[in-house]
Amino acid sequence: MTIRTWIAGALCVLGLALAGQPALAQKSGGTLVYIVQPEPPSLASYLSTSGPIGLVAPKIYEGLLDYDNDLNIVPALAESFDVSEDGKTVTFNLQKGVTWHDGEPFTSADVQFTVMEVLSKIHPRGPNSFREVTSIDTPDEHTAVFNLANPAPYMLRALSGYESPIVPKHLLEGQDIRSADLANKPVGTGPFKFVEWKKGQFVRLDKNENYWREGLPYLDRLVGRFIPDASTRTAAMENGEVMYAAYGAIPNIDAVRLRDTDGFSVTTEGYSMINPVSLIEFDTTEPPFDNPAMRKAISLALDRQFLIDNIWFGYGKPATSALSSNFSATGLYKEGLPNYVANADLDAAKAMLDEAGITPDGDGVRARAVLDLIPYGEDWRRAGEYMKQALAPIGIDLELRYEDVPTWLKRVYHNYDFAMNVNYFYQLPDPVLGVHRHYGTDQIRQGTHFVNSSRYSNAKLDDLLAAGAQEADADKRSEIYGEIQKILAEDMPVVNLFEMEFLTVYNDKLKGHDTSALGAYGSFAEAWLDE
Amino acid sequence: MAFWKLYIRNRSAVLGLAILVAIVVMAATAHLFYPDDPFRLAGQSMSPPGANGFLFGSDSLGRDVAAGIAHGAKTSLLIGIVATLVATFIGVIMGALAGYYGGLIDDLLMRTTEMFQTIPSFIFAILLVAIMKPSIESIIIAIAVVSWPGVARLVRGEFLSLRNREFVQACHTLGMSDIRIMLGEILPNCLSPIIVIGSLMVATAILIESGLAFLGLGDPNIMSWGFQIGAGRTLLRSAWWVCTFPGIAILITVLAINLVGEGLNDALNPRLRERQ
Amino acid sequence: MSHTTKRLRYVAKRLVQAVPIVFAIVVLNFFLLQLAEGDAVDVLAGEAGSATPEYMAELRAKFGLDQPLPVQLAVYLKNVLMLDLGYSFRHEMPVSELILDRFWATLLLMVSTILLAVGFGIVLGLIAAVNLNTWKDTAISIFALITYATPLFWVGLMLIVVFSLNLGWFPTSGMENFAEFNEGWDRVFDIAHHLVLPTITLSLFYLALYTRLMRASMLEQAGQDYVTTARAKGLTERRIMFVHVLRNALLPVVTMAGVQVGALIGGSVIVESVFAWPGLGMLAFEALFARDLNLLLGIFLLSALLVVAVNLVVDIIYSSLDPRIEMS
Repeated sequence: MTIRTWIAGALCVLGLALAGQPALAQKSGGTLVYIVQPEPPSLASYLSTSGPIGLVAPKIYEGLLDYDNDLNIVPALAESFDVSEDGKTVTFNLQKGVTWHDGEPFTSADVQFTVMEVLSKIHPRGPNSFREVTSIDTPDEHTAVFNLANPAPYMLRALSGYESPIVPKHLLEGQDIRSADLANKPVGTGPFKFVEWKKGQFVRLDKNENYWREGLPYLDRLVGRFIPDASTRTAAMENGEVMYAAYGAIPNIDAVRLRDTDGFSVTTEGYSMINPVSLIEFDTTEPPFDNPAMRKAISLALDRQFLIDNIWFGYGKPATSALSSNFSATGLYKEGLPNYVANADLDAAKAMLDEAGITPDGDGVRARAVLDLIPYGEDWRRAGEYMKQALAPIGIDLELRYEDVPTWLKRVYHNYDFAMNVNYFYQLPDPVLGVHRHYGTDQIRQGTHFVNSSRYSNAKLDDLLAAGAQEADADKRSEIYGEIQKILAEDMPVVNLFEMEFLTVYNDKLKGHDTSALGAYGSFAEAWLDE
Repeated sequence: MAFWKLYIRNRSAVLGLAILVAIVVMAATAHLFYPDDPFRLAGQSMSPPGANGFLFGSDSLGRDVAAGIAHGAKTSLLIGIVATLVATFIGVIMGALAGYYGGLIDDLLMRTTEMFQTIPSFIFAILLVAIMKPSIESIIIAIAVVSWPGVARLVRGEFLSLRNREFVQACHTLGMSDIRIMLGEILPNCLSPIIVIGSLMVATAILIESGLAFLGLGDPNIMSWGFQIGAGRTLLRSAWWVCTFPGIAILITVLAINLVGEGLNDALNPRLRERQ
Repeated sequence: MSHTTKRLRYVAKRLVQAVPIVFAIVVLNFFLLQLAEGDAVDVLAGEAGSATPEYMAELRAKFGLDQPLPVQLAVYLKNVLMLDLGYSFRHEMPVSELILDRFWATLLLMVSTILLAVGFGIVLGLIAAVNLNTWKDTAISIFALITYATPLFWVGLMLIVVFSLNLGWFPTSGMENFAEFNEGWDRVFDIAHHLVLPTITLSLFYLALYTRLMRASMLEQAGQDYVTTARAKGLTERRIMFVHVLRNALLPVVTMAGVQVGALIGGSVIVESVFAWPGLGMLAFEALFARDLNLLLGIFLLSALLVVAVNLVVDIIYSSLDPRIEMS
């Protein structure tokens, strides 16, 4: 099976895009001020997948591939690629005439160095994405051949400028990569060059005049502003001081208001590579949540639609499985599983508990627990307050705990000193990348964040996860993941709440910002201002 | 009674006292008017004031803002009063010892006090709450810790000037113990400035609590005005009532306490008394 | 002993006294911050998405966080003695550079706030004192109290809604226009333009203090003997009030303002947050939640030094204004 690539398809997509908007002649020039929230710790996207880094770094660094809004692969630093018959060799043909912002030429050696020395060693998700890569050959300056131990179809979904940025070998080689100056002064091949980062205020990127894509970028300058208060961010957007705010930087309630205001738009596009799902993690090793009936009863007693409607103002979809329904595009998502409801079913929840012999005491309480809340904003506090009220009728008495980020991380992932924890995870474009980490026995890694803190362990599931990771045949893979989802719906080690829909709010003068599946984590090369 | 006569001569002080009494009554009777948990999802969310049976409207989860204000009064007053009592207690001990004994003890205690005064107080309060985890206890402790130095300096000053007075000398001659002199003789003579500064501290404490809540450092399990403001602040543009009414509650309370404080000051401060 | 030598000795003595205070602040805060759960590495790793315990251990070793506490403290103190505030692991920058960068923003906001609050406070306090116990007095004290008691963020947001969104007079937030990157005088005006709303918001909070202080101070002075003497000399009430009483009454107000400039260096977290003003308050706030302890200690240290320095300067000015006050 040779996947002789998508060039034709890509051209077709480009053609459609051009044909679709004949009236809109892209204008060059202008400064786009957009919100970066919160201020990133550094700009080292090769070291950290911290959200705000993703809002800045992909404008500077590029990946081998990019993805359009239908998740089709489109060219980036690789103009085409080729997967061998056995799936164990992937050859990338690189763009010619690309230079780094400092003038050095970009070559296959940069790709080899980035993947072997940087991403697969120190990137948070890289070791997983590139785990099958044994070596990379560079037969010439414009060809990089990835040699794999086993087929890794998911790898091709992880090559964007956000997920796997290609970094300059000549600026990192021979240094401690983690403390290299590049972290604060990035040098990439992308459409924008780093100019200045004024802490507490803004990061400024200027147009890369030597960008390899002819005529791009349209904008002269990008300025990412840091505004700590949510209401002020909204005001700055309304006042035209900023024109683009993604990842919920504008609270949903204000986004809904702006959606209905002339001159502003709201979109949920641009998050399909992220696939965020909110959930509750449990300590499955100790009472009361060592009993699956407790966890399932909670799943039945929570009104997912209420959370979506009242806290996220209509944005979101009730979870119906351990996998997001977005995976139906790749055939991995399974419908019709038990124990997931959109509206609360208190009777079913109570029946579940009665059947399991968990009965109320004199005060009508069946269990008491502390509910930890993810310290990433007010919405989660509201969610916790709702859950406390919603679970009282089925006899689960909760106390809320809201701590700061380091305390919370330590408690949940290091000390395992929690019973029940509200959280959200990115499921990413493939379950291997984003979902396996909750459930696999090998993912019970004390001290590592955002893995299997529930400490659920099921040998049968482990086998299925391993098989799912390597299966290249789509039908068989779908069958395996169907089985996995069935087991998880019965055991419910975590309760998936809802598929989150992050919002991007933008000024209608801004066009062309939404050409990539990565949305705000995209390059903005084609963004332009209609002023 | 002479004090009372002086006090009621100040009309705004009487008004302040009346409001304060009303707030205390509201806090004490909250459970009668609103017997349910103020966190209860009571009905249609974001109802404007007057609609769907909500006097002051409801918030994004459909919680009754009025019920929250009634129950929150208890918490806010509790935080204000307990934090003030703790701060006054610490401040009086430190100030009394420093002022009474002077010398090395004075130096040591006053340097400690100065040390606390050089740390930016609101950031210090945030730091303490963050370390102790947000809860009503930690908020009270944090407010007390950043408030006591003012009391200590005041009390020290009073003790310094009183310790050489004749009546104190007389007590020494009578062989009274230091503690008895401090508590029984000097302290009662400097109660009035302590009461005045204390009354104002209650107001400041309530404001600090709302500031902490604004930054997300409130106790998530207890209804308070600060909590309501923190929870309602993003709704300000769409549902103004959610944080405006608790804000007004804070404003009125702080205003009332300040008026009472000024009234006490005027009534207790002999120099002003002579002039009036 | 000449006056100057006496003054120098006094300054030297005060500075020597300040050393243990500053030292104690560093030690106290150092240990206090250790009580907080988690460290800078936890935050960085948590933000990064996922990091292995080995990687985190490596980072801790790099930052020196794996050393025993007394060693860490000793290293820090040694650095401070050499005027080195250390390195911010989070920002990957020297702490002094970070603080200096924000210091000017804070100073600008604080000084303009104090000036505005003191200016209006003096005027209002004066009017109140001159019209003691009339409706003007009551109205002023109620107005001052209302501005004090209204939550700051509410005032800030309302000013943004009215003056930025509805009237379009001022920008909503930030310190400069980042779409333009002005230079020279344009930049000065631009910054001044951005400064207006945060200054008003914050000075409303301090207005009550100065109004009340000014009023009390005027009343205090009005009861002094020299006023009686002046009256006996046949000076007009107006002249007594506005020349003699006012001048003396200003003293405590100015002192207070001086002391506050020092104490306010910590900035105002809430106003900085609402207006995205890049001051030290937000920096400290973020440093705390990122467990960037070197940075936080640096800010506390700077604040302590400034308070000590400003207090000293105020005392010296005070003694020159009023020779009766002995420096001892």
